[in-house]
Parts: sequence; C-alpha cells; structure tokens
Amino acid sequence: MKTIMEIQDISKQYRGKKILENATFSICANQIIALVGKNGSGKSTLLKIIAELVDADSGSIVKHRQSLKIGYVPEVTPSHILFTPEEYLFHMGSIRGMTKKQLQLKINELFELFHLQEARNIRIANFSKGMKQKVMIMQAMLEDTDLLILDEPLSGLDPKAQSDLEETLSILKDKGFSIVLTCHETKLLQHLVDTVLVIQNNKVVQADSFHKNEIPKNKLIFEISNDELLDNLLPFLEIQHQSLLNNGCHEVITIIKTEDTDQVLLDLLQKKASIRQLTPINQKEEQFYTHF
Amino acid sequence: MTSLLRYQFINYLRTYQYVPPFSIFILCLVVNYSFVPNPILDSYSFTAIILFFLMGWFTITLFHAEDEEQKVITTLHAKSRTQYNLGIFMICVLIGFFLSCVSVIYPTLIGAFGEKPRFLHQLLGFLSHFSLAVLAIALSAIFTRELVKNKQNTWWGVLGILIISVVIATLKETILQVKGLIWLLPPVRLSLEMMGSEDSITSIPNSFYWQFAWIFVYASFIIMLFFLLSNRKRR
Repeated sequence: MKTIMEIQDISKQYRGKKILENATFSICANQIIALVGKNGSGKSTLLKIIAELVDADSGSIVKHRQSLKIGYVPEVTPSHILFTPEEYLFHMGSIRGMTKKQLQLKINELFELFHLQEARNIRIANFSKGMKQKVMIMQAMLEDTDLLILDEPLSGLDPKAQSDLEETLSILKDKGFSIVLTCHETKLLQHLVDTVLVIQNNKVVQADSFHKNEIPKNKLIFEISNDELLDNLLPFLEIQHQSLLNNGCHEVITIIKTEDTDQVLLDLLQKKASIRQLTPINQKEEQFYTHF
Repeated sequence: MTSLLRYQFINYLRTYQYVPPFSIFILCLVVNYSFVPNPILDSYSFTAIILFFLMGWFTITLFHAEDEEQKVITTLHAKSRTQYNLGIFMICVLIGFFLSCVSVIYPTLIGAFGEKPRFLHQLLGFLSHFSLAVLAIALSAIFTRELVKNKQNTWWGVLGILIISVVIATLKETILQVKGLIWLLPPVRLSLEMMGSEDSITSIPNSFYWQFAWIFVYASFIIMLFFLLSNRKRR
C-alpha cells in the first residue's frame, strides 16, 4: 500500500505530564487505522496532532502528498448547530475556499452517500446523535479528503446508529479513503480496521495478530470412557481441564486450532468420544479487550 | 475571509445572544435622550461608557457563539486559528462601529440637544464611542475561552477589567505618582477627559487626535497580546 503520511517520533507533554513518547507509524492509502488505549492515554491528542490542531513538542509529520487534505471529526458532536445540514455544509465549504458550484455538486453527492436527503432542510440541532455524527463526517469529507480523522465516531450511539455508521465507514473504505480513528467498539475493530495501534505507557505499538483470522482457536469439551485412548490423545491436545465424572467417563476441556478442528473431531468420534461442546474463541482479542 | 465572516455573523445572529446587550443599548439611548435639551459632549461621553461595557458583552458572546467542538471544526476549515479569531475581532469592530454611529446619529436626528451639534461634536462623539468600543473588545477578548478555561472567570474577568478601567479615571492623581503605570493601564480616562470639554469648543486640539490614537494603539497591543497567547496555547 502507498504511504500517504508518516508520523515520526512524535512526543507531547501536557502540564509537565508525558502523554506521547516517540510515536512513530505510517498511514497508507485506503487503510483504516484504529488507535486504542485507556481513557487519557493520548489517543485524542495524537489525532489532533495529525490534524494539525495541536503542535507536537518534538517529532515530525511527513506528508507524502503536498496537497494532502485532512478531514477531522471531534469526539464530542457539537450540540447547537443552528443551521440545516445543507446550510452548514455550504458555510464550511465556503470557508474552505470551495466555489458555489463545487459545493452544490459535493453536497448533493454527500447527501446521497449518507442517506440524509430527507433531513436536508431540518436544523441539525434537532437531529439524533447518529445523524449529527453523519453530518460531522460529511463536513470532514467536503473537499475530496484524503485522510479522515475520527475521534470515537461510535461513542454514545445506539446499536442501530452504530451499525448505520459502521456501514457508512465501510463504504468510505471501499471508496478508498484512509481513516484514522479511535474507538472502543469491538465490532468496529473486527470488521473494518486494518491496523490496530495501541497506546500503552505513552508509546504507540502495533497490536498484530488482532484480526480474528489470525487467532483461530476453538474450545472443545468432550467425554471419553477409555483411559488408554485418553492417554494417546493427551500429547496432541492442549488440555485445559480434565475431570472424572460419576459415570466413570473423563470430561476434557481443550483448546484446538481452528485448522485442526475437523481432524481432531474425526479422531475423537472414531475413538468413541462424545462431543459435548465446541465454541469458537478469540483468545488474544479477549485478552486485548479485557485490558482496555 | 468573507465566507468566514458571513458564517460567524449569521451564526451569531441565530444564537440571539446579541438581544440582551443590544436591548440595553437601545434602552439607554432612549432613556438618556427622553428629556431635552441635553448637553452634547457630556451625553456622548455617557453613552460611550455604556457602549464600553456593552461591547464587553458583545465580545464574549461572539467569541463563545459556537460550541467548543464546532469552533475546532471551523478553525480547521479556516486553516488557521489566527484567521478564525481575526474574523471574530472584525465582526466585533463592525458592531462597535455600527453602534458608535447610532449613538452619534440618533440624538441628532431626534433633536435631543439644546443646540444643533456641529461636525466637530459629532467627530469627537464618534471617536469617543468607537475608541472605547475597540478598547472594550480588546480587553474582553483576553478573558474569552480562547485564553481562559473557566467560563465563570470569563465574566468576572471582563466585568473586573472594564470597571477597573473606568475607576482608574477617577484615581488618576494617585496613579500618576507611580511613574510609568499610567501607560500600562487601559486609557479610558483619556476619552472621558476629552469629552469633558465644553460644548462651545470651536476646534479639536491636536492633542485630542493623539490621545484617541493612543487608545487605538493600546487596544491593538492588547489584541496582539491575545494572538500571541492564543498561538502559544496551541503548543
């Protein structure tokens, strides 16, 4: 993938407290990067630095395109916008220097993309949070934006609005936008994000092996009556728990790789084992979210 | 810049936050000139002080007309925080200019003075209103959320600095004893002194122009300080 921006050794302190230390990573075209970390870990600050709203204490941001256009959506949606979305987008675009003709075309395109045609002439202040969030993303996309920066785009939205917005982000991804976002929503991370960067102890580290395809394991519970057969199986299985039941059978809880599951099940059935439960698990992901 | 000014102005109009200070201004004008005849320069001096306080109100509400988050978005579209703030300053100055004109023209139109005001009265009247309006804008801007985090401190700060500026005029003799201090304090007293002249004044002394110029220069220094602190805060 083609790199559009490089964040190099960015450090930032706030009131003497170190927030970011030598943050380094690249943003590629058509890539969605999620920044995750605990509250107050510096995610929003890093987004603001990328959006050039806040200066870093040290380090640099290298744009690989002279005219790289960045759109920014803040964490908190402005609640008192006293314009209709059409007026609002028109004003924001004009401030940006777009001509009336360009704006008319772009605004129509955005209304279509975000399915907001019917709300064109309703004041934004009367919108639901999900609709407001859509307008915020629309303003960020006014001028053929290359990079969208979204600070917790799904925060505070109900499941329906989250799902709507997730669909919109998915369309944007397909259209080739690069997006850097912060979020806590596991669903979003699983389905959309290409790269997850974790801010931990002021440092930005890549959380690889994050995608569910890279963590392919199943939890299997089975019963087997024959001790000898069980002893033969033990070297090949990652046994988590084993107990002797009242009926004289052994109950075994084991973790197996997804790719080995079919073969293991076949072997067990051939050895007259009874399969009690098979559950897909995402071990690293579980650990990951327990942590954040 | 025109688009930014248009947006900021329309947004301010839609907030209706201008209604209280504007109503008070109109009320003061009407009440002040309800009895005739009135002295010219004294009356102008009074309405100039009223405008001085009300411009503080206009300035704060203009700087706070947008949500904090919307302000970030507008700044990003305007491509610079300086440009954004400059837009608000320009609207404040335009409001100050408009209200200064109204303050001078209204009493003339309704014949509120004992004698017909001459051009020099009107010029002095306009300069006293406009200079104090610009001074109030500059002093109030220092206490907006751009530089002061707590909104309560904003209102106390503005009210405090505007009252102190007027009180200084009466404490001039004491303050003059501390060398150099008079140059640091807001020069409201200069306007009040000049407007204390008799209505029979036949020409405007050169020193008056310099004194009005000093009020504008002082306000410009404060505005520059505002931009300096505002840009430093970004870091």
